[in-house]
Amino acid sequence: MAVAGAGMVTVAGAVLFIPGEQGSQAAGSAPRAVVQGDPLTAQEIARASTIASAGSREHMAAGQVKLLYVERDDDKEADERRRADAYLYDYSADRLIVRTVDLDRGTVVEESVARGVQPPPSKAEEATAAELLLAHPQYGGGVRESYARAGGRQLRSAADLGLRGLIFTPAGERGPARHCGIHRCLRLFVRLPDKTWLDTSRIVVDLSAKKIHTLEW
Amino acid sequence: MFLRLALSCVMLAGGLGSAQAASAQAAPATHGAQVASAPQAMTGAQAAPAPQAMTATRAVTGAGAPASAAHAVRAPAPPCSAPYRIDKTLPNGARWQLCWEMRNIEGLTLTKVVYTPKGNRAVTVLRSTALAQIHVPYDSGRPRYHDIGALGYTAIALQSADCPGGERREQFVCVTTRARGHAYLKSDYDGPNTSAQGHDLVVFSAFQVGWYTYLVEWAFSDDGSITPRVGATGSLSGFTTTPEHGWPIGVGARTFETSHNHNIFWRLDFDVAGKADDLVEQYDFSGSGTAKRKLERTAFARETKAVNGPMRWWRVVDQKVRNADGHRVSWEINNADSSEYRGPANEAFTRADVYVSTYRSCERLATINPSPGCAKSVDRYINGERVKDPVVWVNVGYHHVPRDEDGDLMPTHWQGFRVTARDVTAKNPR
Repeated sequence: MAVAGAGMVTVAGAVLFIPGEQGSQAAGSAPRAVVQGDPLTAQEIARASTIASAGSREHMAAGQVKLLYVERDDDKEADERRRADAYLYDYSADRLIVRTVDLDRGTVVEESVARGVQPPPSKAEEATAAELLLAHPQYGGGVRESYARAGGRQLRSAADLGLRGLIFTPAGERGPARHCGIHRCLRLFVRLPDKTWLDTSRIVVDLSAKKIHTLEW
Repeated sequence: MFLRLALSCVMLAGGLGSAQAASAQAAPATHGAQVASAPQAMTGAQAAPAPQAMTATRAVTGAGAPASAAHAVRAPAPPCSAPYRIDKTLPNGARWQLCWEMRNIEGLTLTKVVYTPKGNRAVTVLRSTALAQIHVPYDSGRPRYHDIGALGYTAIALQSADCPGGERREQFVCVTTRARGHAYLKSDYDGPNTSAQGHDLVVFSAFQVGWYTYLVEWAFSDDGSITPRVGATGSLSGFTTTPEHGWPIGVGARTFETSHNHNIFWRLDFDVAGKADDLVEQYDFSGSGTAKRKLERTAFARETKAVNGPMRWWRVVDQKVRNADGHRVSWEINNADSSEYRGPANEAFTRADVYVSTYRSCERLATINPSPGCAKSVDRYINGERVKDPVVWVNVGYHHVPRDEDGDLMPTHWQGFRVTARDVTAKNPR
């Protein structure tokens, strides 16, 4: 999901964290007084998303940087503050940016940046990975065929698939997958309508290079 | 705020203990000897439980106050609001209070865990605990999964039948009470037996990670112990291999399902009786092959990796807060049920069973840690720093050699460890 303009950033933040998207953090209920140890509310997540995204609007508009998710900051040394950590990833520079937002002050109070640090994939990334898989000349057809066999109907889009993503880091791999770790790479589990999972154990989706790698063993 | 109040209460009791002046070095040997004789003393005391309990309570409350004094103190504001608050008094009077949160990355996370033994003051146990990784290497060498993706996203909406006798919180968390068998049983010469059934407060969530469903559970017992465990169910992956790496599934011996390990890491940020003065100790009992066993204590003043050993256990002890007997309050960690998987050099995180690090907010997962400016795996967190505020990482392996019975649906296989109250109360607070 490419964000079209600066004005879209807030919307994207809010849309990504609708009820059901982020476990208990998606309130979806009447506003209540927030106590320090509570999970972030949907409103707090949307607000933290906006504040944390402000410094990357151009890159987000260009689709180069994406907001992965927002997590409550649980630093016990800052136990008295209501804070949120926003995870952003810059795919063109392969940099993770974590911005800590103080929700009482409404500002970013900490920023840390690193290459080669890969937080778990977001739901949007799982969908992007599935689109890359479906676009692959060999695997795309295989997924569609398996889907049709399992469900008795044609696959319309990646949204029809049950998806789970895990970070892939190489452990002695040769070939292009050796760049994973610096590149943002996913293993993708794909669930079919008959509740079975495709064997995707040798497939790695490289979101930085926008390519599929096949592991050999 | 609540934790601080609880701490100050317990510390007040500590200040009254006669053993307070004893040096830290001298205490352990004496302590060990006292522990050895404690069971007989406790058995004897059961003949007159009420007065003994009252005496103990007076010492702990520090002001000759009755047992109910704990409730007379104005209740501090809970650290989280109602949907996330768990406050359960079990049938024997033991009370557990904690908060839960479904975090994106770690999934179910329990925070601010407080235990109140019957008739005693509240004592803090854990600042937080959550899974820190599920590492799944297959015996054929590949694949090797790190199953914590964004675990919170994979939480399964629980149905009523999935949470028997309990209460579902925001679909994903079950809070329930479960029988745990005999708390104790003792016969009498001419009267009825003295016995009681024990109970656990159980908090769990289920996560769908590929083929596997993981049941992630903490049981808080009415004797002050905690049992974190994970059950794997759902379906086998269907990865096939050669006979030396698997087991034949299905008819004949044509298809060999690949054996694999689940190496599960838990992160436990202990704050025993508050954050201050916590120390991790390792206990060993030398004398294998001889009639005698000798207690040996090793204090982990600096960050340490430890491996399991026969009879070996650890404890997180508050060096200042003591129970009514003058013994330091602690929680014991026993990791005796692990398959102790050891991976290749590039999986150094598999080469110890318990890690003790000093608290850093950026050290969250045992592998593929998601924080910039922080090491990437638990073995790298251990770099000789002085431990000011210990965080314990427990690695429990389960080696799954598939069997025909695993054919869908796969029966749940469990793995976990035990955290036991040690000298939190001066006697069984039953």
